[in-house]
Amino acid sequence: MISRRNLLSSVPVAAAGALALSSCGSSSGSSGGGDDPLTWMAMLHTPSTPDASGPVQKGLTDLLGTDFTMQWVPDASKEEKINAALASGSVADVTSITELNNSSIRSGVTSGLFWDVEPFLSEFDHLKDIDSTILDGARLDGVLYGVPFQKILARYGVLIRQDWLDELGLEVPHTIEDLGKVAKAFAEGDPTGTGKSVTGFIDREESFKVGFRSLAGYFGAGETFQLDDSGTIIPAIISDPWKEAMEWYRGVFEAGGVNQEFITTQKENQQQAIAQDKGGIVVTGLFEAKNYVALAESINPDTSVEWTLINDITFEDVPRRIVSDTGGGVGGLLALSTQTVKTEEDVRRVLGYADALMTEEAHGLMTNGIEGTHYEIDGDGAVTIIDQGLWEQEVQPYSSSRLAENAFTYKSSDPYVNLANEMMEESSQYAITNPVQSLNSETFNSQWATIEQTIQDAYNNFMMGQASMADYESAIETVRSQGLDDIISEYTEAYEKFND
Amino acid sequence: MVADPAGDPRMSSPVLAATATPGAEASAPAPLPMPRKPLGRTLWRYRSLYLMALPGIVYFLVFKYLPMGGLIIAFQDYKPFLGILDSPWVGFEHFVRLFTQDTFFMLLRNTLFLSFLLMLISFPVPIILALLLNELRGIVFKRSVQTIIYIPHFMSWVIVVSLFYVMLTTDGGAINNLIVSLGGEPVGFLTDPDWLRPMYVFQHVWRTAGWGTIVYLAALTAVGMSLYEAAEIDGANRWQQTWHITLPAIRATIIVLFILSIGDFLELGFEHMFLLLNSMNREVGEIFDTFVYTAGIQNGQLSFATAVGLFKGLVGLVLVMGANTFAKKLGEEGVY
Repeated sequence: MISRRNLLSSVPVAAAGALALSSCGSSSGSSGGGDDPLTWMAMLHTPSTPDASGPVQKGLTDLLGTDFTMQWVPDASKEEKINAALASGSVADVTSITELNNSSIRSGVTSGLFWDVEPFLSEFDHLKDIDSTILDGARLDGVLYGVPFQKILARYGVLIRQDWLDELGLEVPHTIEDLGKVAKAFAEGDPTGTGKSVTGFIDREESFKVGFRSLAGYFGAGETFQLDDSGTIIPAIISDPWKEAMEWYRGVFEAGGVNQEFITTQKENQQQAIAQDKGGIVVTGLFEAKNYVALAESINPDTSVEWTLINDITFEDVPRRIVSDTGGGVGGLLALSTQTVKTEEDVRRVLGYADALMTEEAHGLMTNGIEGTHYEIDGDGAVTIIDQGLWEQEVQPYSSSRLAENAFTYKSSDPYVNLANEMMEESSQYAITNPVQSLNSETFNSQWATIEQTIQDAYNNFMMGQASMADYESAIETVRSQGLDDIISEYTEAYEKFND
Repeated sequence: MVADPAGDPRMSSPVLAATATPGAEASAPAPLPMPRKPLGRTLWRYRSLYLMALPGIVYFLVFKYLPMGGLIIAFQDYKPFLGILDSPWVGFEHFVRLFTQDTFFMLLRNTLFLSFLLMLISFPVPIILALLLNELRGIVFKRSVQTIIYIPHFMSWVIVVSLFYVMLTTDGGAINNLIVSLGGEPVGFLTDPDWLRPMYVFQHVWRTAGWGTIVYLAALTAVGMSLYEAAEIDGANRWQQTWHITLPAIRATIIVLFILSIGDFLELGFEHMFLLLNSMNREVGEIFDTFVYTAGIQNGQLSFATAVGLFKGLVGLVLVMGANTFAKKLGEEGVY
C-alpha cells in the first residue's frame, strides 16, 4: 500500500523532469535528409507571422517541389535568437543569417556548423550567375558559408521637400555647399507658408552610423573602413574627410539646419517629425519617399507634400560617390546546416530549392503575391497593390527572404517607386564598399562595438557643441590603445596578404 | 536509553566522566530508529503540503539554481562553440580587467549613487502616500486616487520614457515650449548630464510609488481603531496620532520591505536606464546593467560580462546581509 502510494506521489516529479527534457530536446530536432519537411529559419520584419497554409507558402511549395516549415525570427530579436541557436548548435536545416558584422555570430558561422557551398554553385542555373563581387563580399575568411542574399548596392541618397524649395524659390541642390544652403534657408525662411518654424535636416540618434555616414561619404570617407594614402587600412570615422564632414555638419546644425535634439530622436520620432512638416531634408534610402508621402496622406489626404530624390550630391572636386548601406550588396547568407543536411547529395537537393527561389515566378510571388488577390497589372504593365492590408499580412513577410531582391524590378503605378528604383540602379556604379569586409580581425570582433561607441559619443558631443574637434581627436587617441591600433594593423596585414 | 556512563559508579576517572557526559547524551540514542523518523516520517506526514510546494521547488531548482552553474564562465574564456567543458580557464583575469579599467569606478559610482537616491527618495514615497490616503475620508475619492496613482505601474518603461521624451524634448516638447513662452531658455532635460539623475528618480517614483502603497494600506487596515479613540481622549491631534500610533504599527512592514528592497538595491533595471542613456549623459548614466549589455550581448564578451554581473551580485548580497543584521540589532525580525 505504502509503496504504491509512494510511487504515485513521485509521478509529478517524473512528469516535471520529462517536461524539462522534452523541452530541451524539441529544439534540436529537425532534419533535412528524411521525410520531415525542410526547416528554414528566416527573419520577420512585419508585426505578425504569415499563415503557413497561406497562398505564398503554398505557391512556393509547388514551385520548389518540397514541403517546408518557416521558423520566423522577429527582426528585433534576431541577434539573440541566432546567437542562441548557434551557441547550442541547434540550427534549422536552412538559416538566414543577416548579421554578418556581429562578432559572435561571425565566429559562430565559421565554426563548422555550415557547409561551404561554393563548390556546388556552378551546378545550378541561377546560383552560378551570382556576381563575383558579391561572392567576394560574402566570404568569411575566404569561405562561402552560404548562398549570399543580394541587395541593391547603394540605396541611400538625399530626399528634399520639393514644395518647400518652390515656396522659397530655390533650386534642387546637387553639391554639399548648396545642400547646406538649402538646410539653412529652410530654417530661416518660411517654407511652409504658415509661419511655423521648421528645420532642414531631420536626423536621428543613429546619425553617426546612418545619415551622417552617408553625408561623410560625399566628402570622401569610406564604408566603415578605407585604404589611406600610405596603404594602411583605417576606419572611416578617423579619416580626414570624415572630420571635414563633421565640421560642415556642425556648421549647418548651429545655423539651425538640423533638428536640435537629434541625438535622442528614435526612428519613429523621426518619421513623425517628417510627417508633421518639421523639416524638409532627410538622408535615407531613396525608396522611403513613397512611405513619407503615404504617411503625410494618412494625416491629410489633400496634402501637397512632394519629395525630390537626389542621388548625385558631390563635394568640391571629390568625384561622385555613395557609400554602400547594404554591406556591399550582401544582405547575409542562406546557410545550410552540416548537422541536419548530412550528405553532399542533401546539399545539392537543398541548393536546388534555393535555385528555384531565384526564378522569376518565385521572386514575383514573394514580392507582389498573387495576381488578382494581392495585386493587379494595369495597361502599362505597372503593378498596383490592390489590398495593402492583405499584402502586408500574406506577402510582405516573405519579401525579405528573397535571395536577390534586385533581380527583377516591377514597374509600379507609383512614380516614386519607379524613380527610386532607377536612381538606386544608377548609384550602384558609384558605390563605395568596405575593402576588408570579408577579412578577419580578432580585435575587431571583440572590441569594435566599444570603440565605435566611444567615438560615436565624441561625435555627438561635438555636434551638440559640448566638445571640440580636439576632443574628438583625443577620443580617437584613447581608443587606439583599446584595440584600434591592433584592428588597423590586423586588417592592413590581412588586406596586403589578400591582395598579393 | 542505554546506561549513562557518567552515572556508573565504577567509572573512577573524573576527566573521562566529564568528557564522556555530553557526548553520551548525543551519541547514545544513535542506534535507535529515532533519526530516521524526522525526514521520512515528516515527509510522509505532510506529503500533501510537500506536493503542493513541489512545483515551486522545481521552478527554483530549474530556473534559479541550475543557471547559477553558468557563473563558472566568469573564470573562463568562454566560447559558446566550445561549451563550458572545453573553454579554457583564465582564473581571475576578467576580474582583474574589470578592477583595473577606468570605467569601473564610473560604473560603481553611478550605480551606487543612483541606488542610494532611490533608497532615499523612491522608498519613502509610498509610505507617505499611504499615510495620506489613510487620512482621506471620502471612500470614492480615496479609491479613485488610489487607482489613478497605481496605473503607471502597468506601463512598460518604454512607454514611460517615451511619454517623458515627448514632453521634455527641446524639439517642440510641451514643457520646453512652456518655458520658452514664459521667456526662459529651453532646458536640455534629455541631454544635460545634470538632469539625468533627477529625471531617473522622478520617473521611478512616478511609475512605482502608487503600486507600492498597496502593501502599506493593507498594513494600515490592521491598526485598531480603539488606539486612535484612546489617543483622541488623551488629546492627541492627528499629527500625533500618526506619529505615535500609525507609524509604529506599520514599522515591521516598513523594515521588511526595506530589507527586501535592499535585495534589489543594485537592480536599477537595465531597461529604464538603457532607454534614457545617450552620448551626452553616459558619464553619469552608465551603470553595471547597461555595461553588461554592451560588453556581453553586443560585443560578445560573455565571460567578462558574467564577471561584472557576478561582482554586482556579491555587492548586493553584502548589502542585504548588512541590512538584515542591522535590523536585528534594532530588535526587528529581519527576513531570515
